[in-house]
Amino acid sequence: MSAKNAVLGLVIERPGYGYDLARRLEARFGSSGFAPTGVYSALDQLSSEELVRSAGARPGAANERAAPRTIYEATPKGVDRFEDWMLDDSSLAPVRDELYMKIALSRPHNLSRLIELTQTQEQGCLARMHRLRQPAGSLQGRPKAWSEVAALLVRDAEIKQLQARIEWLQKARTIMRKLSEAHQRSTARGDGIA
Amino acid sequence: MSSQVRLALEKVGKSYWRGPHETAVLKEISLSVYAGECVAVWGQRGSGKTTLLKVAAGLEAPESGTVRFKEQDLGSMSRSALVRLLREEIGWARRAGPESDELEMLDYVALPLLKRQTLRRARRRSAAALSRVGVGECSKGRWEDLTDGERTLVSIAHAMVRQPSLLVVDDPTANLDVLQREEVMGLLRSTAERDWLGVLITVPDMPSMVHAHRIGSLSDGHLLVPSGNLPERDNVVEFPARGRAAPG
Repeated sequence: MSAKNAVLGLVIERPGYGYDLARRLEARFGSSGFAPTGVYSALDQLSSEELVRSAGARPGAANERAAPRTIYEATPKGVDRFEDWMLDDSSLAPVRDELYMKIALSRPHNLSRLIELTQTQEQGCLARMHRLRQPAGSLQGRPKAWSEVAALLVRDAEIKQLQARIEWLQKARTIMRKLSEAHQRSTARGDGIA
Repeated sequence: MSSQVRLALEKVGKSYWRGPHETAVLKEISLSVYAGECVAVWGQRGSGKTTLLKVAAGLEAPESGTVRFKEQDLGSMSRSALVRLLREEIGWARRAGPESDELEMLDYVALPLLKRQTLRRARRRSAAALSRVGVGECSKGRWEDLTDGERTLVSIAHAMVRQPSLLVVDDPTANLDVLQREEVMGLLRSTAERDWLGVLITVPDMPSMVHAHRIGSLSDGHLLVPSGNLPERDNVVEFPARGRAAPG
């Protein structure tokens, strides 16, 4: 997934310069895995397609020698393109996963390591969930503005994906534990299965 | 152990017999809940969430390990002391509601106070508890008239009216929509912080954990915690030292 449409949407919401947009992209879509530098290449592409343009420059800080930062705003063409994108169908994320591949190609002697991997992945999912938590002192009570509700729905979707992943990991681990024990018993008897 | 610890489970084990088969529901679970924080444990159906809460709240004894409340070992307490502790210090939010359909919520929430206080004073505290959780307007209503969200909040007020040190809630967001859920979970977090209360909840739905200070998942009787910040050994959910002092 390209950061282009996300950056265009952010510029339409509020003009901004590169670093500001990178921070806003991280705050809103951090879990999508966009690289911070992706903002600059997205701005280059959007500029060359005349979807965004310079709206002036933000001066560098007084105590810095930093060059002024270009502030980008959306062009009318950019707003139209964004509305077209909003109306387009949305694709499903591809299901690609290294653990699936390992399980598919594993043999009984790999089970104990795979059990460890499912536990590590579950803890990784919990860590991601932990990062998606509501920051202290932020929103309390029922969200009111649509922007708050929209952010909530997107966060829920991300957490639900983590939950589905954890549920599957737990079920896979339970089955693998049973099979691993059976494998160890049969190996001890000398009739181990391949 | 820090005096800020409200609840500490150490290597707690619990099993149930189903026919001839013994099933270990909790296996060496260690978990602590500190004053001013909300801890959420997620688990699938049948994972042992309610058993964990019952053991944590002293309603069921573990077969192994210890449960300490404010450094007191529940296993070594007399029955009367345990009953007093459950009555005074631990609030369990029950979503079953009052036994009588005729009871107004003001009186339902006042019930836990009536042994020690006059009806008038108990009602005054009940009204305050209902207002604090945002359902003051339900005081004249009856259970059957309330929405699911209001029932949840009234249940929390009922558990909080004695001003316990630990609040225990099993699935506080059941049947709530996303917006009601945010309201209830935000309330539990802010209540923990404002009242210097320990809050332990279990949830079957992970988005419900989003306001919790710390989270964990139950699976096969084990408690897993997020990677990267905590040791795996002993399944300890430990709180990093914050040097935080109790409000005066």
